[in-house]
Amino acid sequence: MATTAVEAPVVGATPAQKKTDKRVVRRRLGPGPRIPGTLWIGPLLLLGLWALASATGVLDPRTLSEPWVVVETAQQLIADGRLQDALATSAYRASLGLVIGVGVGLVLALLSGLSRVGEAVIDGPVQVKRAIPSLALMPLLILWLGIGEPMKVITIALGVLIPIYIHTHNGLRGIDSRYAELAETVSLGRGAFVRHVVLPGATPGFLLGLRFAVLNALLSLVVVEQVNATSGIGHMITLASSYGQTEIIVVGLVVYALLGLVADGIVRFIERKALAWRRTLESH
Amino acid sequence: MTIRPTSARLTVVAAVLATLLLGVTACGGADAGKGPKLAANAALPDKIPDGTVLRLGIPNAEVALKTSGLIDEVEGYDIEWANISGGPQSIEAFRADALDASIVADIPPLFATWTDTPVKIVAVTENPDPLENPIYELGVSPKSKVTSLKDLKGKKIAYSPGQAQGALVLKTLEAAGLTQKDVELVEIQSVDDTFANALAANQVDVAPLGGTQLTSYLAKYERDGATSIRTGIRDDATLIYGPEETFEDANKAAAFKHFLGLWVKAEKWIDEHPDEWVKAYYVDHEGLSFKDGKKVFESSGQTLIPPSWDGFIKRHQETADILVKEQDQPQIDVEDLYDRRYEPVVAEALKGGQ
Repeated sequence: MATTAVEAPVVGATPAQKKTDKRVVRRRLGPGPRIPGTLWIGPLLLLGLWALASATGVLDPRTLSEPWVVVETAQQLIADGRLQDALATSAYRASLGLVIGVGVGLVLALLSGLSRVGEAVIDGPVQVKRAIPSLALMPLLILWLGIGEPMKVITIALGVLIPIYIHTHNGLRGIDSRYAELAETVSLGRGAFVRHVVLPGATPGFLLGLRFAVLNALLSLVVVEQVNATSGIGHMITLASSYGQTEIIVVGLVVYALLGLVADGIVRFIERKALAWRRTLESH
Repeated sequence: MTIRPTSARLTVVAAVLATLLLGVTACGGADAGKGPKLAANAALPDKIPDGTVLRLGIPNAEVALKTSGLIDEVEGYDIEWANISGGPQSIEAFRADALDASIVADIPPLFATWTDTPVKIVAVTENPDPLENPIYELGVSPKSKVTSLKDLKGKKIAYSPGQAQGALVLKTLEAAGLTQKDVELVEIQSVDDTFANALAANQVDVAPLGGTQLTSYLAKYERDGATSIRTGIRDDATLIYGPEETFEDANKAAAFKHFLGLWVKAEKWIDEHPDEWVKAYYVDHEGLSFKDGKKVFESSGQTLIPPSWDGFIKRHQETADILVKEQDQPQIDVEDLYDRRYEPVVAEALKGGQ
């Protein structure tokens, strides 16, 4: 997408009067200005490819349903009210897990980032949790938390906590020590230091963590909704696969894809607004 | 210059947070209110003290009771329904003390016993015509030529040791006069549509498929040459079981006695209102179309509750013996797994409505 203009256009001139602008315009090395809506170009290309492969019969509908069948099935599910129910339940679980996970992850990252004692206590267990897949942890969580809603929300929260912690901690430790020295020079208290230096400095890391976290919350849904769920997108997919209803599974996957794109878009939007002060390749 | 170490206050906050997390964790699965202990040979009490709760993973009974309105007859105790069925999930929930009873086939109670989760079986159901309406048939992959049990020799067969499907494979081999050495058993857990997918991709030649899995597999792949054959073996054993603690708790035992009466009524209601049942369970709860739901119900959804458990237990012992022999499991006397105090309760309820 790089603009390699070597001639600046002269606005409002007829071809007859056209004069060459003599000002030198250098080639830009960055990706150039933002084009709105670029997030959707890749997925739409994929969709076109899928439709093409289905229409020409290259893609067996038994392995992946055709896009129009998926749309029909989705309409059917919406008419029955099943899709909305599933979405509402899943959204509630995911948001609750997200809020708890983000809160706990942030607090842990601050404690471990700002104190060596905290790091000694917190960092190890978080790395251990990172190495254990949620799916493998499920039996244990069921043993500890039973099969009700607390187990589901906490499983999601655990999946969310990790990226928030890692990226915030990393962002915090990456803050230039000159800022800390400056804060010490002007005798900021610890509270003010956290407010004015640490939090803004760790925000880029935190927001990157949030991008991972939002998707982790969605991914965890599939795992937690296999156990004692009566609705939710994950439950809908599991149930459909036990009856061999491929088209409903694909509807579920498409819903996940859309949720993922939208959620990621929202976080990136927040990122742009919150980090407007940064002069980086992204904003340039 | 570095940032000064955190004050003790922050460390205390961290400790409090950690404790909170653990605290939430600890109280999640706790079950309040244990009743007095009931000996295994004591008569079942009738009195249900206030506040008794049964946590049941019997989704079909839940739907039947709620649809028929029989749920209003639950008296003196509360039911917390869990949408859990099948061996692995129910055993997991029993261990977590999160469930009092669940409905499964005849293999899970054996595996629960072998994995040190003592359970008791308190109700059994069969199919009115088990050989005509088997739960499972052997699906045959599009590329394999298997038309009779004799053709299984040398074939790849999907095999899940801890599930009813696994036991069925072993029984089928025995009936065909083959041993495990004559075939290639491929260990796959049957979760949702794994077996159907393995067949469709020609990864295995033969796999047991039940109910909708079979119909959807044939509907999709028959044109490529997929078929199925019957095993000729009874596979209709279904039972309600729970961890021993449930039935050692006098309050829960009394409540369960009452519930079993209701359960029999619910099964009768299903027999008398097949269309309402198909709509409530297969359409609304399971998301099938009415036509598909009716097909499943008519082939493998019919239940018959036997007044005497003798025949059922005898067949269960045969199943256990095959697993002992073929999988080197410890000897087991299945009679020990049954709590026969509930047998007359069910028989009485069966008489009650006739």
